[in-house]
Amino acid sequence: MTLLLEVTGLTKRYLGLTAVDRVAFEVEGGTVVGLIGPNGSGKSTIVDCLSGFQRADGGQWRLDGRALTGLPAHRIARAGLTRTFQTVRAYDELTLLDNLRVAAQERDGVGWLPSLSRGPRLRAAEKAAEARGRDLLTTVGLAEYAQAPAAILSYGQRKLLAIAAAMMARPKLVVLDEPVAGVNPTMIRRIETVIHQLNAEGVTFVIVEHNMDFIMSLCRRVIVLEAGEKIADGPPHLIRSDPHVLAAYLGQRRAAELVLPLPKGERAG
Amino acid sequence: MMPGWLRGLLVLLGVAGLFAVPRITGNEYVLALGVSFAMFSVLSGGLNLVYGYTGLLSFAQVGFFGIGGYTSALLVTERGWPLEAGAACGGALAALVGLVIGYSSLRLSRHAFAIVSLSFAFLCMIVARDWVSLTRGAMGIPGLPVPVLHLPGWSWRLSRPADFYYLLMGFAVIAQAVIYLVVTSRLGRAMRAIKLNEALAQSQGISPLSYKLLALALSAFLAGVVGGLFVFYLTIVDPSIFDFYYTETMLIMVIIGGPGSFWGVLGASAVLAALPDLLRFTTDLRMVLYGAVLIAAMLVFPGGVGGWLQRRALRRWRRPRLAAP
Repeated sequence: MTLLLEVTGLTKRYLGLTAVDRVAFEVEGGTVVGLIGPNGSGKSTIVDCLSGFQRADGGQWRLDGRALTGLPAHRIARAGLTRTFQTVRAYDELTLLDNLRVAAQERDGVGWLPSLSRGPRLRAAEKAAEARGRDLLTTVGLAEYAQAPAAILSYGQRKLLAIAAAMMARPKLVVLDEPVAGVNPTMIRRIETVIHQLNAEGVTFVIVEHNMDFIMSLCRRVIVLEAGEKIADGPPHLIRSDPHVLAAYLGQRRAAELVLPLPKGERAG
Repeated sequence: MMPGWLRGLLVLLGVAGLFAVPRITGNEYVLALGVSFAMFSVLSGGLNLVYGYTGLLSFAQVGFFGIGGYTSALLVTERGWPLEAGAACGGALAALVGLVIGYSSLRLSRHAFAIVSLSFAFLCMIVARDWVSLTRGAMGIPGLPVPVLHLPGWSWRLSRPADFYYLLMGFAVIAQAVIYLVVTSRLGRAMRAIKLNEALAQSQGISPLSYKLLALALSAFLAGVVGGLFVFYLTIVDPSIFDFYYTETMLIMVIIGGPGSFWGVLGASAVLAALPDLLRFTTDLRMVLYGAVLIAAMLVFPGGVGGWLQRRALRRWRRPRLAAP
C-alpha cells in the first residue's frame, strides 16, 4: 500500500478556541477511511482546511508526496484532492451532464483560447468528459435525467450527483462530508454501493459521517476526533470498544458501565 | 428550441435587415434609434456577461464607457489619431482599469465589488469634472471633429448620420458575436458555475478570480470602445457621460431580458431602446407609461424573459416525474 495523504500537526484556531489541535494521520491509497466524532469535534474544519476552504493555522499535508499546505482551494482540487459538501451543492440551472462536464474542464489541459476556437482538442476533451459523465450518471443511477436541470433532483439524488461530480476529474482522493446525512435508508444503500464500486475502481475515500452503521460497514479504518484532537485510529471493531471513543460519545460513566458493567446496587442513580 | 440552421438564418436576416435600414429610410430619427440600440446593446451585453453570467453586480460599466469616450476624444483631438486607434486605446485603457478595480476588490467578496464598482463610477465623474487640465472640466470637450476611419484600402469620413449608424451597428454586431462566442463556450459554462455556486466551482478546480477578471475585462473593453465611438456621434464628451442614466438603463435591460440569457437581454435592449420614443405620442404620460411597462414586465417575468423560458423548461421535466408512480 502506498501512502496517499499525509497530514501532520494540523491546527486551526478561532479566536481563543482551538478547533483542531495538532491532528496527524495518513491515508493509504485505495482505502476508505472514516472520520468520526461528536458534533464540534473538528471533522468539518479538517475537511475545510485540507481542501483549502479555510486557512490552517499550523501543520502540513501532502498528497502523493506533493505539498498542498496553504494552496487555494482550486489548486488543491487540480492536484487531485476533491471534496463534497455537507450542505449539498449543485448547479441548479445546468443540466446534470453539464454539472459533470464543468467539474472536469479545468483538468484536461485545454486553455482559454482553444476553448473559444473550438478546435479538435477541445472537442476531444469534451467528448471524453461527456462519456465519463454518462458513465458516472449510470453508476449513480441518474442516467435518465442527463439532460434535465439539476433543480429537479431530490435531496438524496443531489448527494449522488455531488459524488459523481467529485469523481469527474479522476481525483486521487475524495473527501465526502456527510454523504448520507438526512438521506432515506434506500438511498443510503445506493450511496454505499456507489462508494464500494468506485473504491473497487481505485478511488480513495475519506468519509466524514455521523451514521455509524454506514461508516462501520464501509471503512476498514476509522479515525475518531474529540474536541479537536485525534483520540483513536484503527479498524472498526476496535474503535467500537475503545474506552476513549465510548467516553466521547456516551460520557465517562455510561462508557464505564458498558466496558465493565458495574455491580447491580450502584446502577440506580 | 429551434434547430441551429434556422437560428443562423434568422440571425443573418436580422443583421441584413439592420444594415438595410439606412437604404430604406434616410429618416434621422429612425437612425438615431438604431444608434441608441446599438450602443445600449453593447453595454447591456457586457453587463450581462459580468452580472448575468458571472454573478457580479457591477455599476462600473458606465465608468468604462466614459473612460473609452474621453480617451478616444482626447487622442483624436489632441494627438490627431485616427478614430479606430483612439477607440481601441479607450477600450484597452477601460479593460486595464477594470482589471485593477476587479483584482483589488474581488478578492474580498461580491458585495465589496458591487460597492467598489459604484464608488468607481462616481469617482470617474468627479475626476472628469475636476481634472480640468486633462478633461477641460465640467464643460467637457465640445465640437468633436468629423472623424475618419482608416480601413485597409479605404478611408471613411463619418459625416452623415447613416455613417454613424453603420459604424455603431457594425461594432455592435461584432461585440455581440464575441459575447455569444464566450457565453456559449465552456468559459461561459464555468462563469455560470461560479455564479450558481462559487464554492462548488472552486472545489472542482475552477479559479473564480480568473473568470471574473476575464468577464470584467472583456465587458470593459467593449464598453470602452463603444464609448470611444459614441462620443463622436454626440460630437461632445463631458462628465455627463458618466451619468447614472446609462447604468440604470443597462441594468433594466439585463433584468427585464433575464440575467444570463443572451437573446433575452439582446431583445430587451432593442425594445427598451425604442420604448421611450415609441411612447412619445403622449408627452405627458410618457415616463409614467414607461414605468408601468417596467412594473408589468417584472410582474409577468420576475426572472426576466430568460428566466421565464427556463422555468417553463423545468416544468416540462417535472411533469412526467409527478405522473410516475
